[in-house]
Amino acid sequence: MTRTMGPRIAAIAAAAVFVAAACSSSATPAPGSAAPGSPAASAAASALASALASAPAASGPAASAAGPSQATLRVGWGSEPDTMNPLTTYSTEATEVLQLIYDKLIGYSTDLEPQPELAAAWETAPDGLSTTYHLRPGATWQDGQPVTSEDVAYTFKTIKDDSLGAYAQWLGDYVGADTPDPQTVVLKYAKPQAFDPALAIPILPKHIWSTMDAKAIQTFTNDQPVGSGPFKLAEWKQGETVTLERNDAFWGKPAVPARIIYILYGSEDVAAQALKNGDVDVLTEVPPTVWDGIVGATNVKAVQLPSFSFHHIGFNVSEDPGSKGNPLLKDPVIRQALSAAVDRNQLVQIALAGKGTPGSTLVPAGLGEWHLDVPTDKLLDANPEKAKQLLDAAGYTDRNGDGVRESADGKPLEFRLIAIESTGVDVRAAQLFRDAAAAVGIKLDLATLDENTLGSTVYNTTDPDWDIFVWGWDSAVHDPDYMLGVPLCSQIGGNNDVFYCDETYDALYAQQATTLDPVARKALVDQMQQMFYDAAPYIVMWYQDKLQAYRTDTWTGWQDVPGGIVFNFTRDNYLNVTPGT
Amino acid sequence: MRIPRPGYLARKLAGVAATLFAVITFNFLLFRILPGDPIRLLARAGNLSPEAIDRLRQAFGLDQSLPVQYVLYLRNLATGELGTSLTYRRPVVQILAERMENTLILLAAATVIVVVLGVLFGVIAAARRGTRLDSGTVLTSLIFWSLPTFWVGLIFVFLLGVYFPAFPISGMTTPGATYATPFDAFWDVGRHLVLPTLTLALVDVGQFILITRSSLVDVLTEDYMLTAKAKGLSRRRVIWRHGVPNAMLPIVTATALYVSLIVGGTIQVETVFSYPGMGRLMYDAVLRRDYPVLEASFLLFAIVVIFANFASDLLYRVLDPRVRNA
Repeated sequence: MTRTMGPRIAAIAAAAVFVAAACSSSATPAPGSAAPGSPAASAAASALASALASAPAASGPAASAAGPSQATLRVGWGSEPDTMNPLTTYSTEATEVLQLIYDKLIGYSTDLEPQPELAAAWETAPDGLSTTYHLRPGATWQDGQPVTSEDVAYTFKTIKDDSLGAYAQWLGDYVGADTPDPQTVVLKYAKPQAFDPALAIPILPKHIWSTMDAKAIQTFTNDQPVGSGPFKLAEWKQGETVTLERNDAFWGKPAVPARIIYILYGSEDVAAQALKNGDVDVLTEVPPTVWDGIVGATNVKAVQLPSFSFHHIGFNVSEDPGSKGNPLLKDPVIRQALSAAVDRNQLVQIALAGKGTPGSTLVPAGLGEWHLDVPTDKLLDANPEKAKQLLDAAGYTDRNGDGVRESADGKPLEFRLIAIESTGVDVRAAQLFRDAAAAVGIKLDLATLDENTLGSTVYNTTDPDWDIFVWGWDSAVHDPDYMLGVPLCSQIGGNNDVFYCDETYDALYAQQATTLDPVARKALVDQMQQMFYDAAPYIVMWYQDKLQAYRTDTWTGWQDVPGGIVFNFTRDNYLNVTPGT
Repeated sequence: MRIPRPGYLARKLAGVAATLFAVITFNFLLFRILPGDPIRLLARAGNLSPEAIDRLRQAFGLDQSLPVQYVLYLRNLATGELGTSLTYRRPVVQILAERMENTLILLAAATVIVVVLGVLFGVIAAARRGTRLDSGTVLTSLIFWSLPTFWVGLIFVFLLGVYFPAFPISGMTTPGATYATPFDAFWDVGRHLVLPTLTLALVDVGQFILITRSSLVDVLTEDYMLTAKAKGLSRRRVIWRHGVPNAMLPIVTATALYVSLIVGGTIQVETVFSYPGMGRLMYDAVLRRDYPVLEASFLLFAIVVIFANFASDLLYRVLDPRVRNA
């Protein structure tokens, strides 16, 4: 699912044996997170401030002809939320539900452009160090209290001070807020913010949350969430359903569906049948294995949309003396040779059943213009001859005739490769990768582990005892910032899964994060992508497509949005679909 | 029938207590030596600062040394405190109670069907030993017993849920349904139970047929059966009055083990039919390294198995004088 942060280990669920891996498709430890954000791709080239300050005040989210209905929208998923506490959740499912209950200051349209949410308008100061948000007049919490600038200031302060949840990462430069009046809040930063955290952080009611200290918040279940969004939580039957009810006191145009029921399915095949039977209206994730069975079904539409995710092969390049990884992998030549040896198109066609595009840099192609097309002369892909040349030139030759190359001092190019057992696509990709490596004289020993064990193995920062792994990332925001931030030196111990550390790269990251001009920022982002691609601590295998399906007779008006009709950075599809006849 | 002597009961109970203690200790240690760190997993929710991670460790008591954790664990157990789920952040007791109830509902019907039909067909097969009916029953039982449960479940989904849509194929209730009367609610749950129960019954009845049959076949070759027949008793009376009671012991054991499934849940059936029972809870808890839920489930499982066996031991003594006097 998209917005997971963290190696979203289980990924596309693929053929995972559906019984054994019943819920693995998204039971990933992958942390949900924030939502979206990016000063839209370069199309919206004008700077955030000017482009958006003119946004119409107080209009509801994107227009829809229909008024509120009494109908229920039924959504089928394969994994349920962990908690309703936005500051402790790590599941995409919770993030999805909570973005309907809580508002952010700025949301996303179905074009994935920023649009007014709780803030009707905003302007960024010329120095880029502060942004003033004008809140919706008349917005209320679901318990009737008014939403004020104090709530916004409290939310940002608490997350920053207590470094709570996934959101804290966006507030590294946050210095504080001014609240000149109840409708106006000024958020101040030490540096300009290319990615506005207001796009990611849900606003919480101060009168409820401020009664708790950080420790209490960490164990708070938030069974009756009070937000200001278009839906309220009606009931959560754990292991079965989550039911949301329309919030009729919502500040914007009321949502069309009276209720949304999320239904938990243990088996993908049964979920697909339920869709065909008409027991459910939308499936949030269709595994490639059942895709063909759904595509032709009556009154069902299956959609294949680009996503903000990739799967990659990662190399342990730790410089830590405690690392137990094979030190040969610290030589970029070996990594580049492996990158050249593997055929990414073959990986997509065979491992992913064609449901994606071949990968290259760590910014997914789904992020549009932020993605760099690697120049042909720098491309390392499906070129075993080049791999052999690279290895020969660096002195890695087969000295003892056993088919495996050795280094000058006789160390064989033999590495351990680990993948997650239940993620079928990764295991198949690892097998293909192993064969491609063998063809150029590098031996890989493949082992599969359960996802948690693999996670702990890889993220063992003290003495990482592994060589090469396979898994994937989902971008937590609609911006290149998140993916680019994974391999930072400062993320060792955090997201950095290969222990890559390059001061130049980190400096470029800091620079792009504070560059407001999209064109200048794009140049920096491109430079970083090329740099990381050349160093090859990752082989980005593919950008998988998001596969979803919905009934065309029960609800109509779904907008195909890159990233998915639901489980995306925009919530507007939920608000605007209309009951069929 | 005699009531078991107090001395025997006391000895048995002491054994039960010792087993329980061993299980509790093992249970505690098992999860500490498994690979994978639950806090690491939670902390991956973005870049938690070291302080936030420490706070999590403290909140769940994972910052204490192993012996201290053990003592705390025992003390909490004694007061019925099973901790807080790392995933749901709710008391484990509440979560287990909900799921146990659901699994209990599912398995109650299945158990009755499986035991009654199993014994019935087993007796019929044994009584007609060597006939085509017998070999047919044995073969059929073996086939059904060997079928993968999830596969049978899916076949039912397609047959009775899709081609002849007679019953709901997933969940325990109709999502979003509101009920005018309790009877409507009962009816809705009942309809949802049909396919899972059928699946369980079909796959599990075989073992009871086979156990009953083989046990009864042994009994029927005993001399006292000949005596009974020689006394001129009817065939039916010979079998049901003199045969079946003597063949009950293995059936009692099998039933005791089957009942303990209630805690383990029936993961395959629960998965196929998206049924919110114990099996799925435990499966998810393993994936998410939810120690408190796993420990409590395992403990509960152990307790039920121990007591089911204890009960069947006592039943043995009631049923079989030889055991009683041994």
